[in-house]
Amino acid sequence: MAKTYEKDIKLNDYSKEVLTDFYKTMAKIRKFDENLIRLMQEGKVSGFYHSGIGSEGLSAGSIRQNLRDEDYIFYNHRGCNQKIAKGVPLSKIYGDFLGTIEGTTRGLGAGIVHSADPARGVLGQAGTIGSQLGISVGTAYTSKLTGTDQVTVVYFGDGAASREMLHGSLNWAGLYKLPVIYICENNEYAISCHVSETHAVKENIADWAEGYGIPNCVVDGNDVLLMHEVVKEAVERAKRGEGPTFIEAQTFRHRGHFEGDPYDYVDVEVLQGWKDKKDPIKNFAAKLMLEKIVSEEDLESINAEIDSEIAEAIEKAESAPLPDPKRIYEGLFA
Amino acid sequence: MRKITMRTALMEALNEEMERDETTVLFGEDVGKFGGINAVTKGLYEKFGGTRVFDTPIAEPTIVAAAVGMAITGNARPIPELQFGDFVGIAFDEVFNKMGKWRFMHGGQMEMPVTLRLPIGIAGGAGPEHSQSPQALFMHGPGLQIVIPSTPYDAKGLLKTAIRDNNAVLFFEHKVLYDMKGEVPEDEYLIPFGKADIKKEGDDVTIIATALQVHTALDAAEELSAKGVEVEVIDPRTLAPLDMETILQSVKKTGRVLIVHEEPKTGGSGAEIAAQIQEQALFDLSAPIKRLGSPDVPIAQSIYLEPFYTPSKEQIVQAVDELMEY
Repeated sequence: MAKTYEKDIKLNDYSKEVLTDFYKTMAKIRKFDENLIRLMQEGKVSGFYHSGIGSEGLSAGSIRQNLRDEDYIFYNHRGCNQKIAKGVPLSKIYGDFLGTIEGTTRGLGAGIVHSADPARGVLGQAGTIGSQLGISVGTAYTSKLTGTDQVTVVYFGDGAASREMLHGSLNWAGLYKLPVIYICENNEYAISCHVSETHAVKENIADWAEGYGIPNCVVDGNDVLLMHEVVKEAVERAKRGEGPTFIEAQTFRHRGHFEGDPYDYVDVEVLQGWKDKKDPIKNFAAKLMLEKIVSEEDLESINAEIDSEIAEAIEKAESAPLPDPKRIYEGLFA
Repeated sequence: MRKITMRTALMEALNEEMERDETTVLFGEDVGKFGGINAVTKGLYEKFGGTRVFDTPIAEPTIVAAAVGMAITGNARPIPELQFGDFVGIAFDEVFNKMGKWRFMHGGQMEMPVTLRLPIGIAGGAGPEHSQSPQALFMHGPGLQIVIPSTPYDAKGLLKTAIRDNNAVLFFEHKVLYDMKGEVPEDEYLIPFGKADIKKEGDDVTIIATALQVHTALDAAEELSAKGVEVEVIDPRTLAPLDMETILQSVKKTGRVLIVHEEPKTGGSGAEIAAQIQEQALFDLSAPIKRLGSPDVPIAQSIYLEPFYTPSKEQIVQAVDELMEY
């Protein structure tokens, strides 16, 4: 059965710069998200949005200081969290939502899925959740083919873990010892269905990986440093040619599956408990202040900086023009 | 000129392109040490090694998904094979939505140099799920190029083009044609996509045929010629892109059209070709467009019933006779 990853982490082992980077990334993700929801409420952004609020630590911890531009990620259905952590410019992500030519798709528009930034290793995402699990063994195989040490990190929710493709993917990754890291963002609900209603597992989803001989664990996904450490070990293992790792990161979403979801299938007290006691940003800020690594004023100034970065990004994305309708006839073929 | 089988022609194309470009990687079920159930990939594993030529688990969705993943890195040129073209149904989402659309839906930022090889066709009692010709399904899928050769010469030149192309290609190989011999030069050549080939010239009736049916049509043409009817046999060679120019030029000349394929008649590639002819050349026609395809029912396993699914020389002759009555 999957073991719970634990490690005695001392803040002093990290530089102030790195710790601040973790905080800043998480805060940026949340503020990006809050502002996007505002744009939806103002009627400027249509379509579905799957808010990543409450799970910022998982993406910031796994990506920051672990992955380089040339390492590949496939983001999940709350994937703005991972795109921002990987460094995709905010104006590009907003541009995709707004459908202006500032977006990565140059005006075709994208929701969470279909934005891409190949120069930063973000090779896009499928609208059919879980399909990225198959595609990721292809990127990982290419590292083997070309002899590079590039790793692939593939994110997917507990819901996407139900897709048959997970098993095809794990089989290949285990068989060919591919440099791929599976990060299952288990927020317990696939829209309205609890993980216990949809998955036949011994105890955890990570137990499935055991059957394929893939090292695996369960980790508190809301602890940014723990996420950082567990993924760091997996990246090192992949680079040593020892193959894949499966990490089940446990978290909870603060909002419904999509904006407008009544979210009434979750126990109110359970949700409140996650918000009060396990908020990844609040807890990390408190830890940083307790150990006097940063002051409240430091955090305030970081937040003010992010606010203006986001305002600028939105301004840039919104002021860019919509594409000429002929845009749809460009780029089908290379 | 030397004559070789289509199997050898395909094998040569794979060999030459894998020698030429070391980012090519070939994989599928039993394509490695065994050399493929149709023996098209024989010797490649020994020559290029187990990283560039490898056997996969029986997992069609993962085979195609992995090819997509390799392609979008920009560092690999995958040549996956599905053991039977029918199995494309298992990997439909990966082919239709990922291979075909990934580039477009991400704003054109990545390329998709994948050549997916798909053996098709009725070939001796293989039954309803190992005998089909599913190519027309993908004419409805933007972003996919569809290649369907009928001769060893075309097969080699088109496969080489497919592998070098930076866009997705579905390469359909009729299993009966693997053993058919034809002239293939020793020197290198490429055949561009979207260029139909006139297999026989004639002034009376235009026959548009693909794969094995090109040969059935040529057989019929000989019999018709003896009766004084000269048919023109056009092989589009690629269904996407489709060379309507060559087809329309012929229609202008003959005014009579028969489309023959092994696909089911309803919704087969002939339906699209016929629609385009009437859209662009209705008043050049002196007779209604005729189509011959397999019946709109699943292919029976029985070796006795199987021949009734494949359009025959007799059916083609009869259809042409009917066209000549106008």
